[in-house]
Amino acid sequence: MTVPTLSEPEAPAPDEQAGKRGRERAEPLPARIVRALLTQRIVLLAVLIVLVVIYFMVLGANGYLTAAYDFDYMSAALINAVPLAMLGFAELIVILSGRGGIDLSVGAIVSLAGMIFGFAYGQWGWPLWVAILITAIVGGLLGLVNGILVAYIGFPALIATLATYYAYKSLAVVINNQRPISTRPIQDLYDSTARSVQLPLIGAWVPDVPKGIFLFLLPTMIVVWLLLARTTYGRRVYAIGTNDVAARWSAIGVRATRAGAYMISGLISGLVAVVTVGQFASARPDAGVSGNGMALPAITIAVLGGVAITGGIGRVSGIVLATVLIVWMNAGIRLAFEGNAGPQNQLLALGLLLVFAALLNGFALRRYGGAG
Amino acid sequence: MTTASTGDGAGGAPAPPAQDQPSTEEAQTTATREDRTTRLQMTDISKRFGAVRAIRHADMTVDVGRVLAVVGENGAGKSTLIKILSGAVIADTGTISYEGRQVSIRSTSDAMALGIATVYQEPQLFRELTVTENIFMGREIRRGGRIDWAAQTQKVVDLLALLELPPRYATAVVGDLSIAEQQQVSIAKALAGDANILILDEPSAILTDAEIEVLFRVVRRLTDSGVSVIYISHRLDELFRIAHDVLVMRDGRTIGTYPIGELTVRKVVELMVGGILTETKHERELDSEAKPRLELANLGRRGEYHDVNVAVRPGEIVGLFGLVGSGVSEIADSIYGIDHADSGRILLDGRPVSPRSPLHAQRLGIGLLPADRKQQGMFSFQSIMFNISAGHLTLLSKLRLWVDRVRERKIAQDMISRLAVKTPSENQPIGAMSGGNAQKVVLARQLVERPQVLVLAEPTQGVDVGAKEEIHRIINELADAGTAVLVVTSDLPEAIRISDRLQVVRNGTTTVEFGPNATQVDVLAAAAGDVDGQQGRANGSAEGAA
Amino acid sequence: MSIDVAERDQASPSGPEPTTKGRHRVLSPPVTGQELVLIGVIAVLWAILAFTTPAFFTPSSIQPLVASVAPIALIGIGMTVVIITGGIDVSVGAAIAVCSVITAKLVLVQAGQSLPVALIISVIVGGLLGLLNGVLIAYGRVHAIIITFGTANIFLWIALKIFNSTTVNNIPDTLAPLGNGAAGRTFGVPNSFVITVVLAAIAWYYLRHTAGGRHFFAIGGDQLAAQLAGVEVRQRILAAYLLTGLLVGLASTFVVAQGSNLGQNVGNGKELAVIAAVVIGGTSITGGRGSVLGTVLGALLVQTVASGVTQLGWRSELSDLFVGIAIIIAVGADLLRERTRRKR
Repeated sequence: MTVPTLSEPEAPAPDEQAGKRGRERAEPLPARIVRALLTQRIVLLAVLIVLVVIYFMVLGANGYLTAAYDFDYMSAALINAVPLAMLGFAELIVILSGRGGIDLSVGAIVSLAGMIFGFAYGQWGWPLWVAILITAIVGGLLGLVNGILVAYIGFPALIATLATYYAYKSLAVVINNQRPISTRPIQDLYDSTARSVQLPLIGAWVPDVPKGIFLFLLPTMIVVWLLLARTTYGRRVYAIGTNDVAARWSAIGVRATRAGAYMISGLISGLVAVVTVGQFASARPDAGVSGNGMALPAITIAVLGGVAITGGIGRVSGIVLATVLIVWMNAGIRLAFEGNAGPQNQLLALGLLLVFAALLNGFALRRYGGAG
Repeated sequence: MTTASTGDGAGGAPAPPAQDQPSTEEAQTTATREDRTTRLQMTDISKRFGAVRAIRHADMTVDVGRVLAVVGENGAGKSTLIKILSGAVIADTGTISYEGRQVSIRSTSDAMALGIATVYQEPQLFRELTVTENIFMGREIRRGGRIDWAAQTQKVVDLLALLELPPRYATAVVGDLSIAEQQQVSIAKALAGDANILILDEPSAILTDAEIEVLFRVVRRLTDSGVSVIYISHRLDELFRIAHDVLVMRDGRTIGTYPIGELTVRKVVELMVGGILTETKHERELDSEAKPRLELANLGRRGEYHDVNVAVRPGEIVGLFGLVGSGVSEIADSIYGIDHADSGRILLDGRPVSPRSPLHAQRLGIGLLPADRKQQGMFSFQSIMFNISAGHLTLLSKLRLWVDRVRERKIAQDMISRLAVKTPSENQPIGAMSGGNAQKVVLARQLVERPQVLVLAEPTQGVDVGAKEEIHRIINELADAGTAVLVVTSDLPEAIRISDRLQVVRNGTTTVEFGPNATQVDVLAAAAGDVDGQQGRANGSAEGAA
Repeated sequence: MSIDVAERDQASPSGPEPTTKGRHRVLSPPVTGQELVLIGVIAVLWAILAFTTPAFFTPSSIQPLVASVAPIALIGIGMTVVIITGGIDVSVGAAIAVCSVITAKLVLVQAGQSLPVALIISVIVGGLLGLLNGVLIAYGRVHAIIITFGTANIFLWIALKIFNSTTVNNIPDTLAPLGNGAAGRTFGVPNSFVITVVLAAIAWYYLRHTAGGRHFFAIGGDQLAAQLAGVEVRQRILAAYLLTGLLVGLASTFVVAQGSNLGQNVGNGKELAVIAAVVIGGTSITGGRGSVLGTVLGALLVQTVASGVTQLGWRSELSDLFVGIAIIIAVGADLLRERTRRKR
């Protein structure tokens, strides 16, 4: 509690709104466009998506691609969007909750929960829906461990999720002696969850869409959007991410809300585990941690999608657009280069985009007082 | 309530004055003008921030080896004047001359180069590093590439000796020290830079009496060695023990500089306050038979306040006025469930309650407007609507889950019009709004559930005059509608204007109570050090609840 | 270090007990409580392992363990400084890939250069990578974690391009003095470890006894206050990442020296291992406090656990589990200490 101290000016700020409105009216169109691009992340992403798609289509038309970059291809590529966007939502919620919120353990949860799913559905013969439910719950509990460490005990999120990353990663391998589970039911899962299907009614004019989009991505997207934009819990998350001292003074249960964010992240990771098992037709112990792991792309999506690393700012639409941008960009790169150069250049593109997005965030913050 | 001052024999400071007679102490206060050397002179200073004139006209003379106290109400301009001197703010007009030659202070490094060092209330220290490292950060003594620890430590030990701290503090980690000790380290740090002018901003606010004695001895040692000290304080009784001269500011002007020998506490207060306010007060019908809705009985929290007794009846506005460090803001926090009291009782309509958290307090029907809007009240980049609803998510929901956006929007719009918030829509983010408008939004949040008891901490801090009027109007309306209102403030005119009854908090406990016709002079005198508030006799005032 | 002081009134009851007149410490103790605990834990672990697996205390198992500590601890020195300033660098794994493939493929296999040349080139390349990070973070004013996530990708791309989708084979043994084999040891101690310890000692001295070193702590403690005190914040931050890059370059030569093949997944996940070592060693992730000695001990603990797990015949992945637990315990103990201290 402070009463005015020397460090605060006694003079109140005059009403700035009139001045701001005046300035807005006088701004010429090009400057307005630039400002919208820099401060409205959605706008920027949408523009970039269009540019990327046009770019690759033009390349294709001029014969530079190994296959056609057409709507069918773009639609099929969306299979990769499913786990990516879902983990992007997970990171969104955690980063939104503020206090340095981040979750490095999502990939490890995917691996461990995936193995649980493999046991439940692939070996013990439980019904699919039960297995999926159990997997999600397991994911939620694993995430709750993070939540307790961060919100109740006070570990920095980076440390807590780093530790659980190590722990869960090793458990995933140990639990089945490093063997994947690829029994028959698991293999059949590809057909039921990952294959592309023709859309009803409009299917003849529109490319086939991977099932995963409808089974997993869209429901998760809707639920997360509803959660953040329409529920009291979502408001609490934004509140604690914006100013958790003011949240406390507003009678918001800061610790419970924050722990919940990590639990939800774990739950979503559990669902991603099911998606991944279906996509590879096998429950692999290194599913979420192979290569660079799944956490890094998810966090990249979040930052690209306009999430503020300090919390309180971020939207589902940003995540979705950022995912679509990355997926279609990667898809184009794969066609534009032969052999391994494709995946390699995807890395470069991702890295450059991230640095660019971060610098942009910083610049927009200084120049316009924020990007959203 | 007040501390008896002990004779210290260190020489220099006069004894505290009796009531109205000026002190007849000789000592240095009768030094004539010719005995002094002026070190720094500020002339014709003015400063405006946008449309607000923080300083209209100020002059200040800082002399060698003397303590200049700077006093003034909140808003009088003394903070700005000091900031100009320390380089944090650049004056619009006026000149500054140092030892006769004109200088320009345009940055904190300019000020430091002239030997001007400032010790703020919040110590700006590196908590993980030792005292020696803190003092020498950025100006390490080196010997052949490496730090000369011996030389640094020797210097630090010498400085610590000046501050009456033992040598072992040189290697103590700052984070392990108490706030008072950290303040002493800040002073040492200022002195390490060979300061000629040391500015102390409310140094005694966080000190115990014993620590204040030490501080005064240190200050005297400094002035004996020629350092000029500028001492900003609200605690007027202290000035008579340490200051040689007093500079009084009011409404952005320096009224004058007076040798301490010509002053009494009351006289200082009169100069600070100026003429009598002629604002009309809102007349209110009060039922003096009604039982209090909120009562604090012997409330205490160790280290912060003790024996606090306050009663607020429904429809009544009770003011709690206290200066920095009086403990008044901590009392408000405890009512709301933050840092709750550990002794005494809080009674709501006669029943004892103990709010354990803001949620609990809300459920009991208590609302609180936090003192520090930016840190404790505002969700800066969220909309007005978000800010208002933030405290009532369960209420404004269906099935406790879905936010009832229609109702929320309506409430936000109602509040905007009721509180006259200047905004094009309820979706505007409050971060860019003026202080007054933002404060109204945070206040609106408290009003949604029509609390029975409303505590307002510093309700118009950093708020422009127009919004201040409006907020006061709203507070009166709330009281008229039956709410028991407790206004906790360090803004004296506000406290007098808005309160039906005004209690002064000093040294962590409630003291004198004033009725509706209190004068600023009386109240400030009681708060700042007039013993037993003997001047505080106004209509119907008495200790305790009616 | 001692000075002569006259005793003064013991007015204040707080603070540590005074030593006798004449000598007293001028600095905080060189070894912190956390580090002592780590030493204890490592000693206990070694004792247990020596007991349960007699093979543990033989040179053939201790030497590889100590050699494996070297690259992690070495990079850990730089990471410690980075984390002390309040930053972080998750690109070191990818940077290892770049430096090692350039060294292995271009310098050794293709150009057949000698050890000094390979060393210098590797260090320079690492330094350039670190410089990029440093410039972006110090002058771009963006969060370190995001920037280094981005540069990690970029570095990985560079590395993979140079790898050209094949493992690098037939690497000559020019770097053997830095490797795990007999040529890499002096009096039975792996040279890489000796180099690491020497550099760690230099870093320890620098951080403790020079103004520049103390400035890192100030920046991590309160960047604004540091700037006001005259610390050159940007330059120091740049230096921290540059140092890390240079150390990555050196550590990569150790990695290359360990075999005649270099796979494309070299360095994968190493950034997490380094961060784990730093954190277990007692450096605070929020900055302002830390120690190189702790990092070396942390790396030693992690590798001891890994080695012990293998020796005991357990699954090697279990060592990850123990690392996770170690992180929790180490940081948890730190948090506890902070909490009891802040009670004042």
